[in-house]
Amino acid sequence: MADQATFERDALQHARQLYSAAMRMTRNPSDAEDLVQETFLKAYRAYASFEEGTNLKAWLYRILTNTFINKYRSDSRRPRQSDLADVEDLYMYRRIGSADSAEAARSTEDQVLDGLVESDIKQAVEELPENFRLPVLLADLEGFSYKEIAEILDIPIGTVMSRLHRGRKAMQKRLWEFARQRGLLPDDAVRP
Amino acid sequence: MSDCDQALANLYLYLDAELDQASAMKVKTHLEACNGCDAPFDFERRLREVIRNRLGEEIPEVFVLRLRTLLAHETSGAG
Repeated sequence: MADQATFERDALQHARQLYSAAMRMTRNPSDAEDLVQETFLKAYRAYASFEEGTNLKAWLYRILTNTFINKYRSDSRRPRQSDLADVEDLYMYRRIGSADSAEAARSTEDQVLDGLVESDIKQAVEELPENFRLPVLLADLEGFSYKEIAEILDIPIGTVMSRLHRGRKAMQKRLWEFARQRGLLPDDAVRP
Repeated sequence: MSDCDQALANLYLYLDAELDQASAMKVKTHLEACNGCDAPFDFERRLREVIRNRLGEEIPEVFVLRLRTLLAHETSGAG
């Protein structure tokens, strides 16, 4: 059994990470703070039931995502769970490489990867429908394994894999649009 | 399925470190030998780093303090 006295020391070190995820979930600082605060209060009160030696970080994320889903999904702001159009694999890579020599392609890659700014990346994630956004955040921001994500979100591993895959591809499509808008692509790669 | 197709089919699982050891080794060996496949793996890997590095958010220090105070209050209240 975990001791509540150690909670502050053990759990608070994850606050920074949880806040980043909360920002991408709620899309604004005041809701993100509310969400993280509520997560820590719930976690503190339930800490006695946390099995020491198991994954504290994953446990905190489970509380965070459950709280988010319960609190914000019911909001009228996001009433529907839209689906994603299918996007081909390696969406960006194939477009960068199609027109040019290997050397030119590599330089376009650098330009795109260097040129995409934080707000592009954040917006591309935040625009994903929630059931795709959560797996993408847990994998690509936090580095959780498929199994951990399945446990955190309480969905089967196969569902994690397909949502992650489709969410990442949709993100690439959006990032490609940002790259084009920012003029990061050479003229012959600008064709749709 | 050619070795290249097979490696590409496993790209996401490989980068996510979700392949079993034998399959991961197979991809790795193929990438070392094949110039053509190295490039997409490399791009996807770099894209992930970019995403991870530019997705984070600085937590306000004043909020960290508030959390600490709140938890300290809970601890004394529960005792």
